Amino acid sequence: MHERSLVVALLRQAESIADAHGAVGIEAIRVELGPLSGVDSTLVRLAFEQETRGTRHDGVNLVLDEIPISGVCRGCGMNWTSAEVRFSCPSCRSQAIQITGGDEFRLLELQVTDDTVEHEAAEGDD
Amino acid sequence: MAGTRTIEVQQDVRAALRQQAAELRDEFTRQGTLVVNLLSSPGAGKTSLLEATARFWNGRFRCGVLVGDLETDRDAQRLAPLVPTRQLTTGGACHLELPLVRQGLERLREDIGNQPLDFLLIENIGNLVCPASHDLAEHLRVVVLSTTEGDDKPGKYPKMFRTSHAMVISKSDLLPHVPFSVDAAIADARLIRPEIEAFQVCSLRNDGLQEWCQFLQHTRERMVTGDEVLAPLR
Repeated sequence: MHERSLVVALLRQAESIADAHGAVGIEAIRVELGPLSGVDSTLVRLAFEQETRGTRHDGVNLVLDEIPISGVCRGCGMNWTSAEVRFSCPSCRSQAIQITGGDEFRLLELQVTDDTVEHEAAEGDD
Repeated sequence: MAGTRTIEVQQDVRAALRQQAAELRDEFTRQGTLVVNLLSSPGAGKTSLLEATARFWNGRFRCGVLVGDLETDRDAQRLAPLVPTRQLTTGGACHLELPLVRQGLERLREDIGNQPLDFLLIENIGNLVCPASHDLAEHLRVVVLSTTEGDDKPGKYPKMFRTSHAMVISKSDLLPHVPFSVDAAIADARLIRPEIEAFQVCSLRNDGLQEWCQFLQHTRERMVTGDEVLAPLR
């Protein structure tokens, strides 16, 4: 249910960034989420399809990377990743770990189309 | 001819809301208000715990409560005789979010003549899943687990227990009648969040209230003196 409101927020964020960069349209949106994000990738895809259908974003490609949990061990210093939820170091089993990733829903990049027609005409040759 | 290019973003979709929550939390810290986000499954005893807490303190501290439900103000009706309370109704959303909390906070502040609070207690929607992902500008996140639930529940809700500073085992009076093991539940939670503080209460009989209230008081003291900077747990 809140995958929908997350997708709405995502689209607003993407629009705002695209506008700030003078882009005309968005072709693709690349996001990542991990096992502790509290977000379900299937529901995100579904919500994205529903929120963009019939709008100016209809046809925008959503690229969704599912990433593992990442953490750092304060015991042995190791940086580790895990596709499964865990709160102990895979190397030394210490519980003195910090989660450093896999708990967010992140917008990574946008592929946008430029409004370059007028600029090209004005500049002539590249 | 239009070209395509890539704009690198690398930003949390919920970054703006997180930033707002962090700023509000700082404001509360400056005002000396300890904010508690109380979470649990439906019916675990959050409202009863708040009633018992208010009774125990008996006006000793300036408290305010925001209670969230999908519908009705039944919980606010229970709490209002004991403590300034405002009901937040989501109408369907299964977790509280910062904007609704802000609205309720504004009304609560008006109710009490804008006096600063010692404690702001927020009772979240009964749900062990979604509320774990939403920062309500709290200093302390507390999960209530009742003895009529499974003592193996923490492992099933890792994000909830990972992001909580403390757990309260409620309905302790029922322990003789249920298979629930307090030690097992705490051990399971500590596999996820080793430092989680644990309390046992029976809100109906006021058992365990002293330890629980002292924990809130000490936490507030540490926040006020700056001995501890309370922030969301990852």
